[in-house]
Amino acid sequence: MAALEVDGRGYVGGLLVTSRSGRPLEFQCTTPVKPDRTQEILYGRTLRAWVLGELIGSTLFSRVTIKPDLVVVHDKQMLELRNHTQTPVAFLDDAGADTGTNHCRSIGGRQLHFHRDHPDDSDFVESRAHLLPCKADLQEPMDRVREALTETVRTVLA
Amino acid sequence: MMTDDGPPQPLSHASHTVCTAANLSLSVDTAVCGFNSALQRVPLLDTRVLPLIIQPALVPSWRPHNIPMKCIGLTLPEGVELLVSTDAKKTASDGSQSREIRSRKIAATEANGHRRRKRTRVKPPPGAVSLQDRLFYLLQPPLETWLAGQELVLPFEPFPFQYEGIAWLFSRHCALLADEMGLGKTMQAITGIRLLLRVGQIRKILLICPKPLIPNWRREFRLWAEELPVVTIEGSPARRRMLWTMPGIPILIANYELMTRDLPDIPNEDRPMFDLLVLDEAQRIKNRNSLTAQVARSIDRRRNWALTGTPIENRTEELVSLFEFLDVVPPRAVLNARQLSKLADEHILRRTKDLVMADMPPRIDRDAELQLSDAQESAYRTAEDEGIVQLNDLGDAITVQHVFELVLRLKQITNFDPLTGESTKLERLTADMEEIAASGGKAILFSQWTKSLDWLEERLQPFNPLIYHGGVPAKMREPVLDRFREDPDTHLLLMSYGTGAVGLNLQYAGYVFLFDRWWNPAVEDQAINRAHRIGQKNPVIVTRFICANTIEERIDRVLREKRELFEAILGDRDNDRVSLSLNTDEIFGLFDLKARGVEGARSIGPSNANAA
Repeated sequence: MAALEVDGRGYVGGLLVTSRSGRPLEFQCTTPVKPDRTQEILYGRTLRAWVLGELIGSTLFSRVTIKPDLVVVHDKQMLELRNHTQTPVAFLDDAGADTGTNHCRSIGGRQLHFHRDHPDDSDFVESRAHLLPCKADLQEPMDRVREALTETVRTVLA
Repeated sequence: MMTDDGPPQPLSHASHTVCTAANLSLSVDTAVCGFNSALQRVPLLDTRVLPLIIQPALVPSWRPHNIPMKCIGLTLPEGVELLVSTDAKKTASDGSQSREIRSRKIAATEANGHRRRKRTRVKPPPGAVSLQDRLFYLLQPPLETWLAGQELVLPFEPFPFQYEGIAWLFSRHCALLADEMGLGKTMQAITGIRLLLRVGQIRKILLICPKPLIPNWRREFRLWAEELPVVTIEGSPARRRMLWTMPGIPILIANYELMTRDLPDIPNEDRPMFDLLVLDEAQRIKNRNSLTAQVARSIDRRRNWALTGTPIENRTEELVSLFEFLDVVPPRAVLNARQLSKLADEHILRRTKDLVMADMPPRIDRDAELQLSDAQESAYRTAEDEGIVQLNDLGDAITVQHVFELVLRLKQITNFDPLTGESTKLERLTADMEEIAASGGKAILFSQWTKSLDWLEERLQPFNPLIYHGGVPAKMREPVLDRFREDPDTHLLLMSYGTGAVGLNLQYAGYVFLFDRWWNPAVEDQAINRAHRIGQKNPVIVTRFICANTIEERIDRVLREKRELFEAILGDRDNDRVSLSLNTDEIFGLFDLKARGVEGARSIGPSNANAA
C-alpha cells in the first residue's frame, strides 16, 4: 500500500494485492482526498496518520476482494491502519536500521517495522517469512503501486 | 461613665484641685435586639441553576467525519483465477500449504544482490486507451523477478536487451522485431508467448516459419518453454485439416507453403481464429501481392508479430507490406519515407550487435582476392567475350535474363573451370582448412550452387565435410547439424545460401567462407550470423573469395556502394549491413552495356532484377 500527495488535491492511495511471488492479483486506488482547514487544525500532527491510515488505508482494505495476509505500507503514518483491521500491517523502511526490538524485523534484506500496540505482528511475519521466494524484494511492488497511482491521477485529472 | 467601684465622684473647681482615680474597668454588653441575634446565626447558603438566555448563534459546530472518496479497482486475470478457485483461495489465505523455497539466509543474500540489478518493466503500448488496460501492464512485475520465479524458469539468464525485447513484445498487439541475426529473436518471441499465455492474454498461437526452421523452433520451444505443448502442421491433407481446426492446441507451427496451401481451402466458418500470429523470417511476405502475403493477412488473429533480421532487403515497399500485415496501415497504402520512419519508430524494435553485444567476440571480415588459374582465366575470358558479343547481337530483344545468364556462367567459372577442374578458390580453401582442422576448429562454407557444394565435397574429404542444402531430405538435415556439432573430426559444413542462411544456430563454428557472392549483402550477413551469434565464444573469421578482374569484383563494388541507402528508413539503430540487391540497370552496368547504347533496354521493365 502506498500513497502519493498530489499538488493541491490532497492524497491518493493504492493497494496492490500480490501473490507470494509478486504476481499482481488485484489493485484498488482512491480518488484524491484533501482534508479541509478545520481538519488540518483539529487533527494537527495526527492528520497524516488519519488521512493515510484510517481514511485511505481502511477504505482500500475494505474494497479489495482478495484479502492479503500482510499489508506492507511505504509510509510510517499508514501503520495507523492496523488500529482498524485485524490483518498485520508492516512499514517498509528502506533506510532504517534493525533495532532488534519486537517492533522491527529484517525480511529479505529489508527492514519491517510494526505498530507498537500490536507486537504479535512481528512474530506472525517472522513465522511466515520462509514462504517468501528467495529473491522477493518487498520494495519493488511499491514502485508498481506508485506508477499505477501516477497513471491513474494523470488519467483522472486529464 | 461607670466604674467597677461605685458611682464617679464630682471634680472641684475652687481652691484646691482634687484628683480622683477612676476605675475604667467597665463592663460592656450588647443591648438585646433582633439584629444581634441575627449576626450570631450561620449564614444559609444555597444554589440554583440559571439557564442561558439564548444559544450563541455564531459558534461553529464540528464533528469528525470521513472525507468522501471513490475507488478505482482492477482484478487481474490471476486474481480472478484465485477467486474462482476455492482451493487456490484457501492456499492464499493459509500459507500452511505453501512450501518453503529456500533458506532465508540465502534469500537475504540474494535479495541484497538483486536490489542492484536492472529491472525491466513492461510499459503500456501506445494504443492502450482505457485506464484498466494501462494498469494491467504497469502492475506487472519486472521481468527479471517474474522469470526468476518458481513458475517460469529460464534455462539461461537472458541479456538485458533481450529482457527489453520480451517486455516490448509482451505489450504489443502489432510488433515487428527486427533484431539483427543472432541476437535471439526466437528466444524473445517464445518467452513473450510464454508470459502472455501465463497471464491469460492469449490461448491459441500460430507460428509460421520456413520449413527448414521448424525443427529449430521445436528445439527452442523445448529449451525455453518446455511446459508448452507444440504441434506441427504436417502429414496428409486430411490430417493437416484436422490439426488446423482442432481446438485446444495452444501452439501450432506451420511452414509458409502449407499455410498458403491449406488455409484458403478451409471454409470460412471452419477457419481457425488465433490470438497471436507470428511470422518468422517475415521477409517472406515482402511482396504484398504474393499469395503468401495475402493468405497471411487473411488469417483471423488478434495480435500480429513479425520476426525478421532484414525488414528491408530491396525496396521500401517490402516494409509497407509488413506494416500491412501488422494492420497498422490500410490496404494498398502508399507511404513516403517520413511516414515509414514514423511507423518504424512505433512498431519496429531493432537492435544490432554493435549496440547491444559489446562483449561479443568480434566478427573479422577479410576479402581473399584471388587470381584465376590459367585454365580458369582462359575459360573466363572466352565466355565473357562471347557472351558480350551475343548480348549485343540481341539488339532490342535483350532482356535482363540474358545478362543474368552470362553473369551466372562467369561466376561459375570463377569457382572452378568445368573442363580442367582447376580452382584457385579450392586451393586457398584447402590451405585454410588444413590450418583450421589442425587446430580442431570448424568452418561453414556457403555457395550459391548445390553443384559447387557437391563438387567441393568430393575434393575436401580429408576434412570430413558435410552437405546441407535443398537437395538433402528434410529428415536428414537435423542429423547433419548434430553430427557437425558433435563429431570432432568433422571440420566443414557445406551449405547453400537458400537453405542454410536463416534460422540455424551454428555458433560453435569459428570460420565462415563465402565461396561465391550472393546478390544481396543482407543474405550474406544472415549466412555469416549462423556462426556469429549469441553463444559464440571466439572471434568469427569471415572470408570472402573474390577473383580479381572478374564479374565478382564488379558485383562487390556495386554492392558496397549501396549498403548505406536504407539507413534513412531504419535510422541510427541500424548498421550498414542492410542493403539492396542489384537492380536491372546495375546488372546491365556490370558489362557496361548501357554506356554502349543498348537501345533495347526499355524492354527490360521497370522492376528490379532481384536475383535473390
